[in-house]
Amino acid sequence: MATRDANAITQLTLLSDVTPPSLERAWLTAPHPTLPIIATCSSDKTVHVYSLTNFRLLSTISGGHKRSVRTSAWKPHVSGESVLATGSFDATVGIWRRWDAYGQGGGDDTLNGDGDGVKKDPEGTGAGADGGDDDDEEWRFAVLLDGHDSEVKSVSWSPSGMLLATCSRDKSIWIWEDLDDGDNNFETVAVMQEHEGDVKCVAWHPVEECLASASYDDTIRLWREDIDDWGQVACIRGHEGTVWFLDWEGVENVPRGKGDTDDALSAQWKERHALSGPRLASCSDDRTVRIWRRQPKESQQQAPFGGTGVPSILRPTGTDETWEAEAVLPQMHDLSVYAVAWSKRTGLLASAGADGRIVVYEERFVTDPAAVPASSDGEGSGSGPGPRTEWTAIVVQDGAHGVYEINHVAWAKRADRGRAEGQDEEVLISTADDGSVKIWALG
Amino acid sequence: MTTEIQNSNPTILSDADLPTRLRPAEAAKSRAYGSGLFASTLSFPGDSVDPASQYLSAESESEGDDLLEEPIDEQEIYDLISTISDPEHPISLGALAVVSLPDILIKPTLTNVPDSPLRTVTVLITPTITHCSLATVIGLGVRVRLEQSLPPRFRMDVRIKEGTHSTADEVNKQLADKERVAAALENGTLMGVIAKMLETCQ
Repeated sequence: MATRDANAITQLTLLSDVTPPSLERAWLTAPHPTLPIIATCSSDKTVHVYSLTNFRLLSTISGGHKRSVRTSAWKPHVSGESVLATGSFDATVGIWRRWDAYGQGGGDDTLNGDGDGVKKDPEGTGAGADGGDDDDEEWRFAVLLDGHDSEVKSVSWSPSGMLLATCSRDKSIWIWEDLDDGDNNFETVAVMQEHEGDVKCVAWHPVEECLASASYDDTIRLWREDIDDWGQVACIRGHEGTVWFLDWEGVENVPRGKGDTDDALSAQWKERHALSGPRLASCSDDRTVRIWRRQPKESQQQAPFGGTGVPSILRPTGTDETWEAEAVLPQMHDLSVYAVAWSKRTGLLASAGADGRIVVYEERFVTDPAAVPASSDGEGSGSGPGPRTEWTAIVVQDGAHGVYEINHVAWAKRADRGRAEGQDEEVLISTADDGSVKIWALG
Repeated sequence: MTTEIQNSNPTILSDADLPTRLRPAEAAKSRAYGSGLFASTLSFPGDSVDPASQYLSAESESEGDDLLEEPIDEQEIYDLISTISDPEHPISLGALAVVSLPDILIKPTLTNVPDSPLRTVTVLITPTITHCSLATVIGLGVRVRLEQSLPPRFRMDVRIKEGTHSTADEVNKQLADKERVAAALENGTLMGVIAKMLETCQ
């Protein structure tokens, strides 16, 4: 974060398109948590897996879904194997598996040969890296999760990888537990039906077992487990249209400061941040991107149920959370905003939508409160204590995919040869209606 | 769709009262013949030349020439959608005045980006009766027709005209939802109805 020069001119530089692109609309591209590969969901009923090293197609996952694949998510913390969950308009969720030993470098041996390739999984190196056993190269269809009544819109793995959340036009959210019993068994843990419209997106908190959902009913809701029972702990109203997408802030995120004087601000900010936890970003048909913050509980030390050991029949009020609107980002979009991506590495936030525009925003400390007019672009950082911050759009890329709408953006670790040596650079991945997927560097 | 007809006695406009640009089109055609430049007519053997498809092919052949004049106007949008059939009558949306020329608007999508090629087509639909549950289907038919006919730089904004329908907001929200529209296009039953409505186009 500190490596960026405050006065640098920022722009998005196109590194490459993926090749070959999907020939039909692409909905979402999910970067793998550790490997330099991405999974692009397409209306052609398949998932295209591309290399972030050379941007070429590695494999196509097909044969599992009868309609558009709308969404996918990689299970975290799996060693030696990649596990992908896919959600489709055919109302089902597919689970796919593949051994990691094969083809990590993008199917191009020279990439691994020049030492610029991918670090092989320690467990995978010995096991048949030269063998090329056909069975190991394939995506294995593991199981189909059946339960939703209509199109599945979003899937998300909990930070531990134990739980999978799925949501649908049927207004419900399902939480499944991956029993990890070697037999691909999943158990339904909860079905939540409080939303009054299609549930468009589900997103797990980065460290806690807390789920956020966004809906056609214009609300965002938060869900937690309380004594073996999953329930709604907050319903956030504010958006004036369908809420399309959500992304959580990284746990360690700190806004950018301007110099030494900001050390105190940073410390103050971290203290407050530790109390309220990671914030949530949302985007909507109302063309805005908003930031939400949980109000810290008055007394964090108190046991949640007063230690009486007598659970109330009613949901204890202790589990309810208050979420406040912290900021409306500078209004940069002219049509629906379909995606937000909050970088866990840099704290930068990207948005994209039907206007074909990609916007990158940066959050900075406001060092001199007097310098910020009351009606500044963003709405400031709320009324609570703590240092004020403001959001600035640092990149506006019009027509990023020509005339096409952009359905998704995501940040990923840069893995191509052009990256700077020893630096932890990031790329932005955008996915569009014409099936194209573009990889951008910020520079 | 097989239930009883909701509006059994709709008002029907006569063909002569519908907006048309027949005369200029005829003139253009005869001029083309006169000068021997009938290539454009040859490439469209059908007797009715669809201006939008003509534009589409012209665009792909000229490799995205940005200097192209903007040949798509409100009348041409009207021509594309007025021939769609009502789902419960064998009558066109134009004749039923469900769509009308003054309720079609084309404007730049990004007002602050002057050189952006994006255009928003707004079509206001007037259902024949205020509680017509087929309003969504009609709107979807119009949206599908436009999406299939217009180049991708056009954004569709198909809505129920204010004050003409009891659940307009609900219908409008559905019609504006890209994901729902995309899913509807994969629904065989619904697409059967839409295909039947669009049979009378071209």
